[in-house]
Amino acid sequence: MTEYYTRMGDGKRVSMTKEQIMADLQAGTADAADMGEIPALSSAEMEQLFEIIADKNRIVGVEPGHEVVLTYDIGQLDFTGDNGNSGNGVDMGRLESALLHERALGADTFELAHADYSIKPVKPIIANEMQTMEEIQNEIVAPYFYGAMPNMGLYYAPDGPYGNPADLLREFKMEESMASSEAASEHLARDIEYVSTRIIQAGADGFNFDTTASAGDADFVGTLKGVEALRKACPDAYINVGMAGESVMGIHGGMEYDGKIVAGMYPHQQVKVAEKAGADVFGPVCNTNTSKSLAWNLARSVTFIKECVKVASIPCHVNMGMGVGGIPMCETAPIDAVTRCNKAMVEIAHVDGI
Amino acid sequence: MAFENEEKKLHDALVSCKVPDIAKAVEEAHAAGMSATAIIDCLGNSMSEVGVLFERGKLFLPHVLSAANGMKKAMDDLGPELAAGGETGEAKAAVVMGTVEGDVHDIGKSICSTMLQCAGFEVHDLGRDVPKGNFINEVQNGCSFCGMSALMTTTMTVQKDVIEMLKEAGLRDKVTVMVGGAPVTQAYADKIGADIYGESASETTRKAKELVA
Amino acid sequence: MAVPHYMASGMGGIRTAGDLVARIEYDKNLKVDKAKEYVAKKLGLDSLEIADEYIMRELREELKIGTVTAVPGVPRGIAAKMNIEKLLDIKINSCEKFRGMLN
Repeated sequence: MTEYYTRMGDGKRVSMTKEQIMADLQAGTADAADMGEIPALSSAEMEQLFEIIADKNRIVGVEPGHEVVLTYDIGQLDFTGDNGNSGNGVDMGRLESALLHERALGADTFELAHADYSIKPVKPIIANEMQTMEEIQNEIVAPYFYGAMPNMGLYYAPDGPYGNPADLLREFKMEESMASSEAASEHLARDIEYVSTRIIQAGADGFNFDTTASAGDADFVGTLKGVEALRKACPDAYINVGMAGESVMGIHGGMEYDGKIVAGMYPHQQVKVAEKAGADVFGPVCNTNTSKSLAWNLARSVTFIKECVKVASIPCHVNMGMGVGGIPMCETAPIDAVTRCNKAMVEIAHVDGI
Repeated sequence: MAFENEEKKLHDALVSCKVPDIAKAVEEAHAAGMSATAIIDCLGNSMSEVGVLFERGKLFLPHVLSAANGMKKAMDDLGPELAAGGETGEAKAAVVMGTVEGDVHDIGKSICSTMLQCAGFEVHDLGRDVPKGNFINEVQNGCSFCGMSALMTTTMTVQKDVIEMLKEAGLRDKVTVMVGGAPVTQAYADKIGADIYGESASETTRKAKELVA
Repeated sequence: MAVPHYMASGMGGIRTAGDLVARIEYDKNLKVDKAKEYVAKKLGLDSLEIADEYIMRELREELKIGTVTAVPGVPRGIAAKMNIEKLLDIKINSCEKFRGMLN
């Protein structure tokens, strides 16, 4: 029986028969459909996915004319960072990195980032960031954002003034835990407004909120309120809201945005509140399970993202890095897997960008 | 099946995550003649389902804690009978949990600690950025499970360091080492000699429970 | 990760018209097909041609909207973006700020 080389979710190469791949595609899409209460992929779409996965070429791609926008997060840190953020450890200036991405790496947009890549530590050094933004805007042609994670975890003890909600919950201090989440969420929204409006004043094309809701539902609500404030203050700013995971964790459980409880929202629900807050582009995420195959993970990811794109009124740029979008959780993600996930997202999920 | 109706009510009450409903179902099951041990076993099995529902975004963390609170109350109420039946009501095992030194990512580890606590383990959560030696101290002081989280490729290596330190201290055979976190995989867990790899909080808890069953 | 994504489906940034399509997605909230149509119309091309390096290399230099290769004297940065504003009939924040600095 013919076997095809493919990958596991941790990147390891395995060989599977068509029957095994199809069974994993079926299970992956069924899992997403069950979790998100959304339609599973059709038989024709799963056959199309199989053809992409089983392609004998090392690299696959979309047909000419079907290209999509390629945006980047984490700014210059993909060059300058350590392996903690998958950086290459190549020290260079932020201008050089921006121009390299624009002129050598096919970036349709790029961004400036602080080494910590979080909103909170940018606040005291905002003037420095504004100055660098002004300098780079003088040289760059492509849309140039400022990027940072809301990262509301930094507002909880010991980094911030509010008690850790998960710790309080374990002590059965439910109300105290919820109050802490709510206070941190308000604080985050204020900091987002402070940082984002100033960087737009310095000429940034926009702001990229990366890894939104990493600290759960209160993080998501705080970010959405911050987006609202930015949209009000800077009506023409480009705003990108990218997520941390496929589901919003319910650490508080009752926090609402636009009258809807955000905990437990999946990409097709997240995009609607992001739109409402004022986002121009939404970045949905689906996490990779390292113990499952590429087929399982990709079918699951495509199922979630396809529904998100379908219901969205704004463009969707799917997150496709290490451990998201079907791509294996592997620092040096195999090129065969990356290009297969990419092609599937464009041709089956119909994303507007990567 | 005996007490089928009571078991269903106990299950439904626990999954509803409402403490008064759980207390009422426990009272009714007990009055119908169901043993305290059987009631607690039934609630414990339902608690696993609560963990899975949390991870699937159908329930939220306060729900999980509320269910755990209901179960704790049931154990308190049924305490005398449990003790008479040889059940001590003691924790399944003591677990030290922490995010390793150099890593400040807290949330995944905290959720895992919560799930373990809800499953009946005595959890010693040391927080994040935990010095290696603190894990060793807790194992020396009686923790038989050591759970380490790492969210970065730069810090996951600390999990290996702690395992080596446990070996050097002659404690490795006395403790079950659990590892998790975004970049950690089963292959990595095997490579560094961990006993349990958890893809998620509920999977880690399920594997830990199987070892103490 | 950047190179495989670019090779598999990327528009190509300023090698082609990727930066222009991105601007229109963000500026007008248009999905990719509509954004490409908008840009193609402004350039007098079709959606296939705006991702064609051969066509776009010459056209970008001609339109003075920034080129990927370093051509002395050809506008880049703010100057190129001011030309993009006119071409796409949009306002670009950094150009607005630049204009605001002039007497």
